[in-house]
Amino acid sequence: MEHKPVVLVEGLHKRFGAAHVLRGIDLAVESSRVVCVIGPSGSGKSTLLRCMAFLDRYDEGRVFIEGRLLGYREVDGRRVPDSDRNIDSVRSVIGMVFQHYNLWPHKTALGNVTEALRVVKRLSRREAEAIGMETLAKVGMEEKANAYPARLSGGQQQRNAIARALAMRPHVMYFDEPTSALDPELVGEVLEVMQELAGEGMTMVVVTHEMGFAAHVADEVVFMDEGEVIERGSPDDVFKRPRSERLREFLDTWRARTI
Amino acid sequence: MDFSGVISNHYGAFLAGAGMTVTVSVVSIAAGMFLGLWLSFGLISRNRPIRLPSAAYRSFWRGTPILVQLLIIFYLLPEIGLDVPPVAAAMIALTMNTAAFQAEIFRGGLLSIRPGQVEAARMLGIGMPAIRVRILIPQMMRLVLPALVNETISILKNSSLISVIAVTELMRTSQQVVSVTYRPLEAYTVAALIYLAMNLVLARAGAWFERRYAAAR
Ligand SMILES: Nc1ncnc2c1ncn2[C@@H]1O[C@H](COP(=O)(O)OP(=O)(O)OP(=O)(O)O)[C@@H](O)[C@H]1O
Ligand SMILES: [Mg+2]
Repeated sequence: MEHKPVVLVEGLHKRFGAAHVLRGIDLAVESSRVVCVIGPSGSGKSTLLRCMAFLDRYDEGRVFIEGRLLGYREVDGRRVPDSDRNIDSVRSVIGMVFQHYNLWPHKTALGNVTEALRVVKRLSRREAEAIGMETLAKVGMEEKANAYPARLSGGQQQRNAIARALAMRPHVMYFDEPTSALDPELVGEVLEVMQELAGEGMTMVVVTHEMGFAAHVADEVVFMDEGEVIERGSPDDVFKRPRSERLREFLDTWRARTI
Repeated sequence: MDFSGVISNHYGAFLAGAGMTVTVSVVSIAAGMFLGLWLSFGLISRNRPIRLPSAAYRSFWRGTPILVQLLIIFYLLPEIGLDVPPVAAAMIALTMNTAAFQAEIFRGGLLSIRPGQVEAARMLGIGMPAIRVRILIPQMMRLVLPALVNETISILKNSSLISVIAVTELMRTSQQVVSVTYRPLEAYTVAALIYLAMNLVLARAGAWFERRYAAAR
């Protein structure tokens, strides 16, 4: 077995108290592939992504990032929580983009991008700003480098957040509904940046309600409901030939809403 | 009424007293800020062995009168072998008191910062100490600035209580002036005006900082 997926999820379970939110999820994301996760509200998409980043700790199953177990260590066959240091190390190849951008409002667009370069990679201000400007240019934000988030549109803020993650040179990018907090006219500019990334071979996991984007860009579409993967396959399979009643219903309500 | 006599014969004493008031207050506010920052993170910690003692500390120092705290510290220190001058006891008591109030102010500020900002930082590999110093505290300070100015004003006024342990600050100075001039109304009025002047300066400084921060957004 030479070959390892970038992200490998095996039998993942997650409970919040009595609520069994993830019920045995399996997922493999190969290098340079784009996996889109769709499903109704509350089906566990965000929780899956958060567990895949260990922002929420999972209860059962395993998450491997480039072959390394994330969040736990095995000691004598028993599983113990890993140290923050190791978690940071395994996680360092993941870039994450959130629904609400989560920019730091007291830092400029450039400051948001350079922060981790300075603090984590310990680059000099000049090196960090050079990379920062380059990355901002990539998302079409170089002219806003000195603007604070409050002065940016939602689309600009999300592109800023994408640049912030990209500057750390991740091997895989997670997106949790990156456009669902945006005004409709601003969705396109963010999707464009994401599509460009996918075109450059970035490995991506995208939770999204943008079916058009999923149909266009995804290599694999995963449909979740009530904490389980109900169907998965190529965009054509999932969108044109749904096999399950639940997926058909989901697609119908979505079509009814967008018409 | 004889203000001119009280002032012209004793202005040096009033100035020295005011100087002591400012010194004790500034030291207490600064040291209390340091302690209060630690305490505020203790108050929001998910770790019970950290959170509960932090809350107990906060409740004690917020829930008992400063005068009582001051006297306890003043009489306790020699008992445990620490022979410090009254002014040090005063600074310790005020520091420990304001730390509790400042921690509560900071806690409120920290809770109003969305947790997503911390998650974004963690995903980038930024450690918790750097997250506190570079992301949480700077934002929180801007949010709590008005409350912090209030707390400083209140410590400055409450520092008058330390006159009871014979620290010659503004309040005790005016008592001494009364004992030689027999002019209580004048002497205390002068003291009041000096307190008022100091607090007005503080309030103006606070407003200036607020405007500056608002402009930087
Ligand atoms: N921190 C939490 N504590 C308790 N329950 C939670 C928590 N986070 C999520 N849940 C529950 O887990 C379930 C799945 O939530 P999740 O946010 O993963 O859904 P989702 O598919 O992302 O939905 P949406 O499309 O609305 O974002 C929901 O029932 C939610 O109420
Ligand atoms: Mg979600």
